[in-house]
Amino acid sequence: MATASVTKAKPDGLAKAGQSIQVCAPSRREFLYYIWGASIALILGQASAGLIWFALPRFKEGEFGGTFSFAGDAIPPAGEPPVNIPSGRFWLSNITDEGFVALYGVCTHLGCLPKWVETNSRFECPCHGSKYELNGKWIEGPAPRSLDRFKTKLTFDDGSTAETNENGDPIPLNGKKILNVAINTGARLKRNGQV
Amino acid sequence: MSVLPFPSFLDDVKEKGLKKAVFELVDESVERLTAGMNVQDIREALRGEPASRKPNPRLQPHADGFWLHMRPGYFHSDMTGLYPTFRLGWLSTYLVFFETITGILLMVWYTPSPEVAYSDMLNILGNVPMGQLVRDLHRLGAEAMVLIVALHMVRTFFTGSYKKPRQFTWFTGLILLAITGFLSFSGYLLPWDQLALWAVTIGASMIEATPPQIVGDNLNLLIRGGPEIAANGLLRFYLLHVLLLPALLFVFTGVHYYKVIVHGHSLPPRKENIGEDTAKRVPLDKRVYFIPDVLTSEIMWLGVTTLILVVLCIWFYDAPLEHHADPQVTPLGTTAPWYFLWIQGALKLGDKVFWGIIFPGLILGLLAVWPYLDVTVSRRYADRRFAITFFLSIISFVTILSYMGLAEFGVRTSPDVEIFHEMTFPPAHNHVGKLLPVPYEQLVAGVYSTRQTSASPEDAEAAIGAFNAEIEQQMVPDPLVAGSTITLEERVKRDLEVQHLPLPSGLTFRTVPSDAPELLQQLQYFGDRLLAANNELYNAWGAIIISQNQDNLKRIDLVISWDEVKVENGEPVVGADGKPVLVLDVNGNPMRRVSTAHVFVHKDAAYFSH
Repeated sequence: MATASVTKAKPDGLAKAGQSIQVCAPSRREFLYYIWGASIALILGQASAGLIWFALPRFKEGEFGGTFSFAGDAIPPAGEPPVNIPSGRFWLSNITDEGFVALYGVCTHLGCLPKWVETNSRFECPCHGSKYELNGKWIEGPAPRSLDRFKTKLTFDDGSTAETNENGDPIPLNGKKILNVAINTGARLKRNGQV
Repeated sequence: MSVLPFPSFLDDVKEKGLKKAVFELVDESVERLTAGMNVQDIREALRGEPASRKPNPRLQPHADGFWLHMRPGYFHSDMTGLYPTFRLGWLSTYLVFFETITGILLMVWYTPSPEVAYSDMLNILGNVPMGQLVRDLHRLGAEAMVLIVALHMVRTFFTGSYKKPRQFTWFTGLILLAITGFLSFSGYLLPWDQLALWAVTIGASMIEATPPQIVGDNLNLLIRGGPEIAANGLLRFYLLHVLLLPALLFVFTGVHYYKVIVHGHSLPPRKENIGEDTAKRVPLDKRVYFIPDVLTSEIMWLGVTTLILVVLCIWFYDAPLEHHADPQVTPLGTTAPWYFLWIQGALKLGDKVFWGIIFPGLILGLLAVWPYLDVTVSRRYADRRFAITFFLSIISFVTILSYMGLAEFGVRTSPDVEIFHEMTFPPAHNHVGKLLPVPYEQLVAGVYSTRQTSASPEDAEAAIGAFNAEIEQQMVPDPLVAGSTITLEERVKRDLEVQHLPLPSGLTFRTVPSDAPELLQQLQYFGDRLLAANNELYNAWGAIIISQNQDNLKRIDLVISWDEVKVENGEPVVGADGKPVLVLDVNGNPMRRVSTAHVFVHKDAAYFSH
C-alpha cells in the first residue's frame, strides 16, 4: 500500500530561507513505531516488576512469627541479669519497679546482637558500641532507637492476665507471681526513638 | 606435476628442498598467527632494529588482529615512563584478570551453601595442593585491586586528566570503582565464617537504610533472600560475585578503555600548552611503538606484580578464617576491610541513613560529576590549587574516618571480656588470640595461675602453694543458697562445671612445666594485662586451665577473679586516694567476681604467630 503522508505545511514555515524544521503529522508507519515502542516499554516495565516479584524472598514476617510459651519460673527475678532465648532472638528482662518485657535481641543500628555485660549492667553491642539498659532503653551509641520488644501476654497465679501496651512498655507485675508467659514474635513493637 | 592428486606442501618440498620448504611454512604460519609479522620482523623488533620493510609490520597486528585492535600502535614517549601514569591503569586491568583466574580456580573447590561453604574453605586451606596459596592470592589481590584502582583515581585527579574531553572516561572510572567495591563486598560473605556473616549483615542493614523506606526494605530483602542472611542470601551474593558484577565490570572496562584510546592518553600537564589536547597527535620523533617496547614493558610489570603478590602470600600474608558463621552470636571486633573502614568510622558518628548511605553517596557523586563542575582549562598543578587542596582534604577526611573505624577505637566492653578476647580470638587480619599459636605440645594439661608470673621464678612454687591455700580459705557468697558461703575454689569449680568442664578433684594449681616456655610467656602476658586493668579488675588473678577434651583436641579455659569495683556509665569510680571504690557486701567485705571463657585447639590447627 502506498504511503501517502499527510503534510500539513505551516504557511510561513516554507517561505523563510534557512527555516529547516517543518512540523507535520506522523505517517502511519511512524505512528505505528511509536505504538510499538510504547508496548515494548510497557512490557519491559511489567517484566521488571515481575523480576522483582520473582526475586523477593518468600518468608513469614521476621522470626517464624510464632508465639513462644514459657512457665513463669523461666523469668529472672527483678533486677537480675536478663535471660537470653536464642531460638526466638529475644531476652527476658525483669526490671525492678517496672515489670517484665521481652526485648528483641537485634541492635536497632545495623543488625548485630548486643550482649548483656554483667560488669557494666547493660547491653553492649560489639559492632559500633550501642548500649541499652535492662529495659531496652537506649543509653548511648549510634542506634536510632531503643531495643524493639515483642507483644507479650502474662498469666498470673490468681488467674488475671496482662498484655504489653502499644508503646511496648514493660508489664508491671504488682508483686503477683507469674504462671505463664506467651511472647508473640510475629508482633514486634518499635519504640518511638531513644526512649 | 603434483606429488599428490591436489596441490600440497609436498610440491614445495619437491621444488625447494625440505629445509627451505619447512622454513617458509613456519614463516608463513607465524605471519598469520601474529596477524602481520613474520619471523624476521619479530627478530628485528627484539633486536631493537628499525623495521626493514614497509609498511611497518609492527603496526599490522594492531590493524588486523583482534587482541591488539584497541591497543595503540605507538605511544607518546612522554607517557611511557613511570611518571605520569605509574602504569596504574594497566595494573588495574591486570588485577581484574588476576582475580578472575584465581576466582575461577577457587570455584573448582567451593559450593555456595551454608552447609558446606565453611568446610570447603577448610578443605581448600588444608587439603587442596596450593589451595591456601590460591585463596590468599585471591584475597590479597582483591585488596591490591582496591588500592591500585584508588591510586589510579588519585593520579588521574592530580594530573587533571579528567578534564575535557575526558570527562566521561572519568565518570566510567567511578562506576568501575563502585563495581570493585561491590565485588569486594559480595565476595566477603563467601567463606561463611563469623567475620563474613556479621560484616555483611552490617552492610546489608546499611542498604536497608536507603531512603525512601520502601526502596530500602525491598533492596534489603532482595539481597538477603530472606529475613536474615542464610542459604538464599549466600547464593545470591555468590551469583552477584561471580556472574553479574564481573559482567558489569568487563562491560564498563571496555567502555572505559575505549574512551581512553579514542581520546588518547593525556600528556604530563607540563608538556602540553594550556587548553590544547595534543595527546592524539604524536610526532614521529616521539613515538614509542607498542611492539616491542611497550609490550615487553607491560609484561615485565605483570611479572613484577605477580612476584610481589606471590612473595607476600607465601611469607607474610595469611587471609583470615574465623569460626563458622553463627547467626546467634556477634563476635567482638568485627571490622570492615581497611578500604571500608571509613564507612565504619562514619557510622559511629550517628544516624545510619545519613552517615551510611547519604554521606558516601555524596562523596562518590561529587567525585563522579567533578569534571563537569571543574571546567577550568589548565591542567598545570600550579593553576589547580583549589582542586588539589579539595581532593587532599577528602583523602584526609577519609583517612581520619578510617582510623575511627578501627575496632580499637570507640567500642569498649568490660575489661574481663576484652582480655578473654585478646587471649582467644580466632585469626583475623594477621592477628590471632595469644594462646592459639602456642605449639600444641606445649599446651600441657594442668591448672596454672598468674600468681606464678607475678612472683619471681625462684618463688614461683611457693607462690602457687600459697595461692592454693588462699582459694581454699577465702569465702564468697553461695550463688545458689542465699545467705550461705562457699570457698572461692568451690565457686570457680562450679562455674567451670556449668561450662561442661568437670573438675572432680577440685582446682589444684601448679607451675607451668619447664618444657612449655611459650605457654609461660602467654601466662605472663595474661598477668600483665590483669595488672594494667587493676582499676577495673581490682586485686585480680587469672587462671589458664588446659585439659585434653578428645584425641587431638585440647580445651583451654580462662578464669579471671577480682574484687568488684563501682562502675558508672562503664567507667570505674575512683576514690580520693586514687584507688578504685569497691562494691561492698552487707558485712563490708569486697564482692569477689568470677568470669570464665573457653576455647578449643586442635592438634592440626597450626595457627600462625606473626
